[in-house]
Amino acid sequence: MGTVLEIKHLTKYYGKVLGVKDLSLSLQSGEIFGFIGPNGAGKSTAIRSIMHLIRKTSGEILINGQSFDKDNTDFKELIGYLPSEIYLYDDLTAKEILDYHETFYKKDIHKRRCELVKRFQLDEKKKIEDLSLGNLKKLGIILAFMHEPKLIILDEATSGLDPIMQQEFYTLLLEEKKRGTTIFYSTHILNEVSKICDRVGMIKDGKLLKIETISELSKKNLVFVTISSKEKEKIKENLKIESIFEDENTIKFKNYLDFNTLLNKLTKYKIDKLLIEEATLEDLFLHDYK
Amino acid sequence: MLKRELKVNLKSFIIWTVLLIGMFLVVFLVYPSIVNSNNIEMMDEMMKMFPSEMLKAFNMDLSTIDSAFGWLKTEGFIFVLLVVGCYCSILGSTILLKEESDHTIEYLNSLPITRNKIVISKVLCGLFYIVLMIFLLTIFNYIGLSFSGKFDHKQYFLLSITPIFSSIVIFFFCLLLSTFTHKNKRILGMSLGVVFISYILYTLSSLSKEVEFLKYISIFTLADIRHVILNTSINPVMIVMSVILSTLFFILALVRYNKKELL
Repeated sequence: MGTVLEIKHLTKYYGKVLGVKDLSLSLQSGEIFGFIGPNGAGKSTAIRSIMHLIRKTSGEILINGQSFDKDNTDFKELIGYLPSEIYLYDDLTAKEILDYHETFYKKDIHKRRCELVKRFQLDEKKKIEDLSLGNLKKLGIILAFMHEPKLIILDEATSGLDPIMQQEFYTLLLEEKKRGTTIFYSTHILNEVSKICDRVGMIKDGKLLKIETISELSKKNLVFVTISSKEKEKIKENLKIESIFEDENTIKFKNYLDFNTLLNKLTKYKIDKLLIEEATLEDLFLHDYK
Repeated sequence: MLKRELKVNLKSFIIWTVLLIGMFLVVFLVYPSIVNSNNIEMMDEMMKMFPSEMLKAFNMDLSTIDSAFGWLKTEGFIFVLLVVGCYCSILGSTILLKEESDHTIEYLNSLPITRNKIVISKVLCGLFYIVLMIFLLTIFNYIGLSFSGKFDHKQYFLLSITPIFSSIVIFFFCLLLSTFTHKNKRILGMSLGVVFISYILYTLSSLSKEVEFLKYISIFTLADIRHVILNTSINPVMIVMSVILSTLFFILALVRYNKKELL
């Protein structure tokens, strides 16, 4: 497994406003890397810097170990890109934009295009301006994948797709992974990350918080406890709880005690309901953000 | 890519060309009746009442308007300069910027194509339409003039070519301006302003010796119609200046575009 994409100390400022600071990560061949973060965290800034749509303030982007310059068309042939919002030429039909797309690549990509059109059931006769959001997304996916890129950069790829097409898209990603394609997947849908990614990088306020494998994340022993009791306030005081949810008689909190100590302490009170649950990946991500 | 550019810009080219040709068609249809009436003598008398500076501004000190060719040499070609100038300014300022204002640049940038190639394709398309517009107008007016009587063919062809020198500079200047912004609307007004201010400066410069220097800051000076009327040749200085300025603006536009943040 070689390194396909390497980002070294990528920093981007918009004037004095920070976009991304000192972002460093590397993606291996055949890896699906999830890049997650809340709105405004710097995900799109990072992607646009990688794609040279905006000028990075400092840092370096390497592809296959070589510096990726904005005019390096050989490297651009290796990249498939799907932006979060797809804007194409409205006056063209889907067929015309696909034909146009083909003209930019040295190799014959027509066969793969036909396979993808059939797979995503795209009506090629429709004008782009008449395509629904979902169909526009399908067209974007076909454009990003049809030249069999070695590195695919996806930004909020499934927004607008119906559940069946979403599933089809995940299957396509896993097939591409098997073929050795590297995928950089930016999203804020945490469920997607746990489904398809090998590793995940979390970004907040322009800074990369951490990179973890999905299996490492799953092993984290974060447990939530929900108690319903009329003695809620006493429990709260005794256990020194910081609640994450509270109503009249119910309290939910992260448990840092071992289970025996917790249960021993709770036996003193009249408990109506007790729920102890392991955190989902989504909870783990949210926990890390807070 | 060039093929696509040509297709995208065809509609506006047709509209502007039809506007220009339509205007000259009206002139060719109306002029015989004006020439054959007593009105033309009255107009000549009226012209004599205007100050010489005013007549100079419209080349009326060099030519009378008692024929269609005479009208072309005076008001006709100034009209061509202005209309083609406006077309070039709009084309130059929007041809690159449209990709950004329509957000299609994100797609275009992801393709294996350099920014230089994007600019060059668009410039080639722009130059093709500017030259074609002037060529079509030249052919149309030639046919029109042939029906209107005798005229100096060499002088006519040289006069017809002259607007190219200012138009291409306007195109490249507006192309350069467009690399400083992301908004189509903002640049359109500015580009048309360049054309009209340039024209006003050009007209003012001929009104008196004191303000003659203004012609050096007007792009329309490059289309030296007076020189063609007086010498039946194109001023070589203006050709050289036009090539230098176009090349300079083109290189600056390339440099700027390569550094530009496209989103």
